[in-house]
Amino acid sequence: MMINRRGPRRLHQEKVQLTNWRQTTRRILGYLGFAKGRLLVVFGLTVFTTAATIIGNRVNGVVIDQFLTRAKLPLLFIICGLLAGMYALSSVFTYFQNAVIIKVAQQASARIRHDIFANLQRLPMRYFDTHDNGDVMSRLTNDVDNINTAMMQTFVQLFTGIISVIGMGAAMLILSPLLTLIALLSSGVTYLVTRAVAKVTQQAFVTQQQALGELNSQIEENVSGKQVVQLFDHQAATLAKFDATNETYTNAAFRAQAFSSILGPINNATNNVAYLLITFVGAWSILAGRGGITVGVIFTFLIYLRNFTGPINNILDLVNTLQLSLASAERIFEVIDAPREQDRADAVAVTTTQGNVTFDHVDFAYDTRPILHDINLTAKAGQMVALVGETGAGKTTIMNLLTNLYPLKHGRVLLDGQDVAAIRRADLRRLITVVQQEPFMFSLSIKENIRLGRATASDAEVVEAAQNAHADGFIRQLPAGYDTVLTENAHNLSQGQRQLLSIARAFIAKAPVLVLDEATASIDSNTEADVQHAMTALMQDKTSFVIAHRLSTIQHADQILVIDGGRVIERGTHEQLLAQNGAYTQLYNSQFDQA
Amino acid sequence: MFKLLMAHMHGRARWCFFLAPAVMLVEVFSDLQQPTLMSDIIDHGLAKGDLNFVIRTSLLMLMFALIGVAAGSAAGILGNYASLHMGQKLRSHMLTVALNSRAAGGLTPATLITRITNDVTQMQNLVMMVTRGMVRAPMLMLGGMVMAVIVSPRLAPILLIIMPLLAVFILVVMKHSIPLYTHMQQQVDGMNRVMRENLQGAKTIKAYTLEDHQLTQFNQANADLLDSSIRASLATVPLSPIIQLALNLGVVVALAYGGQLDVNGVILDGQIIAFVNYMIQITNAMVMTVNIITAFSRAITSAARVQAVLAEATGEVPVGTAGNAPSGSAITFDHVTFGYQQSRPILDDITFTVPAGQWLGIIGTTGSGKSSVINLLTRAFDDYQGVIEVGGVDIQHLDLAALHHKVTVATQEAMLFSGTIASNLRFGAPEADQAQLTAGATVAAATSFIDPLPAQYEAPVEQSGKNFSGGQRQRLNIARAAVPDADILVLDDATSAVDQTTNAAIQAQLTKTRRQRTTVIISQRVTNIMHCDEILVLEEGRITAAGSHDALIKQSPFYAQLVQTQLGGGRYDD
Repeated sequence: MMINRRGPRRLHQEKVQLTNWRQTTRRILGYLGFAKGRLLVVFGLTVFTTAATIIGNRVNGVVIDQFLTRAKLPLLFIICGLLAGMYALSSVFTYFQNAVIIKVAQQASARIRHDIFANLQRLPMRYFDTHDNGDVMSRLTNDVDNINTAMMQTFVQLFTGIISVIGMGAAMLILSPLLTLIALLSSGVTYLVTRAVAKVTQQAFVTQQQALGELNSQIEENVSGKQVVQLFDHQAATLAKFDATNETYTNAAFRAQAFSSILGPINNATNNVAYLLITFVGAWSILAGRGGITVGVIFTFLIYLRNFTGPINNILDLVNTLQLSLASAERIFEVIDAPREQDRADAVAVTTTQGNVTFDHVDFAYDTRPILHDINLTAKAGQMVALVGETGAGKTTIMNLLTNLYPLKHGRVLLDGQDVAAIRRADLRRLITVVQQEPFMFSLSIKENIRLGRATASDAEVVEAAQNAHADGFIRQLPAGYDTVLTENAHNLSQGQRQLLSIARAFIAKAPVLVLDEATASIDSNTEADVQHAMTALMQDKTSFVIAHRLSTIQHADQILVIDGGRVIERGTHEQLLAQNGAYTQLYNSQFDQA
Repeated sequence: MFKLLMAHMHGRARWCFFLAPAVMLVEVFSDLQQPTLMSDIIDHGLAKGDLNFVIRTSLLMLMFALIGVAAGSAAGILGNYASLHMGQKLRSHMLTVALNSRAAGGLTPATLITRITNDVTQMQNLVMMVTRGMVRAPMLMLGGMVMAVIVSPRLAPILLIIMPLLAVFILVVMKHSIPLYTHMQQQVDGMNRVMRENLQGAKTIKAYTLEDHQLTQFNQANADLLDSSIRASLATVPLSPIIQLALNLGVVVALAYGGQLDVNGVILDGQIIAFVNYMIQITNAMVMTVNIITAFSRAITSAARVQAVLAEATGEVPVGTAGNAPSGSAITFDHVTFGYQQSRPILDDITFTVPAGQWLGIIGTTGSGKSSVINLLTRAFDDYQGVIEVGGVDIQHLDLAALHHKVTVATQEAMLFSGTIASNLRFGAPEADQAQLTAGATVAAATSFIDPLPAQYEAPVEQSGKNFSGGQRQRLNIARAAVPDADILVLDDATSAVDQTTNAAIQAQLTKTRRQRTTVIISQRVTNIMHCDEILVLEEGRITAAGSHDALIKQSPFYAQLVQTQLGGGRYDD
């Protein structure tokens, strides 16, 4: 006898479009290849346990019939002893079967997760720009979960289900074709009722999902913007709007769920009616004196029926689960198959550079949207080049091209005369350190975060770098000093402190070329002078590119480029540019005029 | 937890909540009749060849089946009604508390959001469970045992031995597995964190070629997760085979023992069959109970998390006693000290006055307490010492609403809401007409990007305003504060993402429209505050200097240095 542990039937899934389910299935199965042997054994065990159920119940029926005919007793005990032994063995097998399947499915999931992550790691920057973090996260979590569930259910339910249905079906047919017909009819009715309910509730489910999405985004937005809601005394209006959505959701959900909550009882009832019919027809046959049916047969049949309709329902459910998981698999393979950021075949290893940088007629576009036009620039080793201009002018984009984060549309970027596209990326990025506008800190200790600049740096070097970046002071004030573990997104530090850490990271990297992208934007004015000092030291003997809003910090650059709309509109030294009395002068005046 | 549920179910929902289990009892009762009736058919109908009896009893069985389906459906619908309406009330209550409580209570917005969404769903599921499974499973179990004993008292000892053993076994397995599942959840969080950081820090990872480092980290997290989830799942694997075995052995024993009795004419065949059927019902109910207990333990965690949010409701906003808002717009801080630790206050003995219509600038480093001044002025916190007055009235005596109509703030973080530009600008002034919107946008130098939009002021704003750039959001943020044309306007570092040219334009517009408005500007940039009538220099929570720009250059070395680094000279040449 099998115990049926079935959740509520999944009624509605998003409409799933499967482009290539055959190949997807094959690839997913590929992830199970490592456990081929174990799965084969499980299959064998399943056959045994199903056979045990069939035989056991038939024997029970025969035993019952023997009571009626007052058969010999000694045999009864022997038979019952054998049955007990078979059941015990069957339970042990079931245990191993489930244990193996769970383990295999978890291992396969871990492999899938690994493959997603390993590829994600190497994807080009463009991928991260164009894909929502939440969406990618959900592929690694929800979608892998879906596949894990499907793998476990497929084996447990599809395998045992199919074997049961075939085995039980055959056994039932042999026992009594008439009763089998009744059983099949009851399964059919259950299926039809489910379909009908699904159809009726479809619209309500769609409304429910829409209202739920709206509800959640209102909660998210208003809780995040709570301060503003309070300051503008807007609570009443906000809540009124929310309550309306909440009401819509509740009503739609009630319509949808009330309907589907009657499914369980209806299933239950059809089962009961099927039992009833079988008992009735069976009894009628016995009384009418038709051969073949005995009380034992009815008994056995009722239990077979339970083991027949249960798996059929499960398999019907499984169709949905499988569809859902195949859709998940496709979403996962999209990440796994996304083309990596690959070095060109002729890319060479470069270990040192003098730091001569040239941009030679560089054009750049995001897809078809042009961003940069004909950028030319030459920085000699050790020079400081400043890029100024309004937000969105393209300053950061120019610097992104230097480290080969994006492919050029036209032109070349050269490092010591070598096209950067022909240098191995790992080498190139080791030679050029970028201090970003919004530096990212990992939830590691401060020491480890700084050491990310160069994995081989010693503790003493870490401290030295922090001192140079004027970060040592605040680090030592933290409870655990350099071993303080940062919380996610380094919320336990101020933005300025995060900036200082990223400058320390740049110190430790000791790269010959340096890019400072608004690196001092969030450092408070108090320490800014000190940090500027430190930066001067950092830039010593290095080719450096500085992006700045505040012109005071870059007046002594060897070259200043004024960027506007993706073009270099002016270039020269501070004095030369002021003399031109053009865009730079205007920018300069807007900052200092008021003084 | 029960109290929490009751507090959010009123009227019809509460009726449904109590009615559902009662109706469910009817379904259980009908289900329990079936095996007995079937045994009657066999023992009385078949044995005596009484076809009429068979037909009559079959019809009775059909009737019970129909009663069962009706009662079951009704119970489901009632339970759904109670659960969904409880959820509706609870969500609304939580959001109300979240929006009105002033201190965040240590909960980040992300946690709050999860609690209002996921945890409320968990509570809804709990109500469903309570109304259905909590009655159905134990009742089926108990009723099944009672019926089994009534039908065949001779076989009852089998049940009395097997069921307690099984119950103990289930309890042991569950007790063992719950901590394992908790541990697994922690590993899931850990893996998600590595993943999330990898996505957020993609550029940093590329800049420092950290790909291999990250992969190692991930592999570790992934291996930990694999290990803990296998251990957790394996812990519950024995449940189903053991329950099956108990049931099967029970049946075998019933047959062997019952068969012997039967032969001796003490027991009838139908009774054995009925007994076996009750055993199946009872074990099914046991499996159901296990599922319910698991779900219940999850719901308890959720309930605690929900309650923590609702606890914020205590310490609610006091109602003002001053009656009407003051007409004046002067601001006075009189010896104000604020901070959680006495030894290191965030604000230390702050005293200043801004006469009506004047401009005050506040400059200082991050963490110097600049924003705290505004938080106290807008009564985000009340636990300060000293007196703060607006228009000559202690703000403690003012209604929060009245105060917030008097003082509008452009916050540091430019938070916009989905809707339109107009709906965002009307946030503080629902009745504002187009002329007022345009005036507000003009002050914020926002017309230059609003006007070219196809729908202009009716242009859609997506969630959190993400369809606008940082600089544009900040300008709309300032415009929103300017639209109500309140007597006091505060700009709390509100132009940090705005480029210099636009910043200058905003400053110019503010000056042009200053009229009689009292204005407070907080900034780290000298250019933003140098034209104020009075400038406060804040260092570590204290006012270290105050005066006009020209006076401060001479008086405050700190200020002089700021001017030096930000405006002139530069430091690269020394």
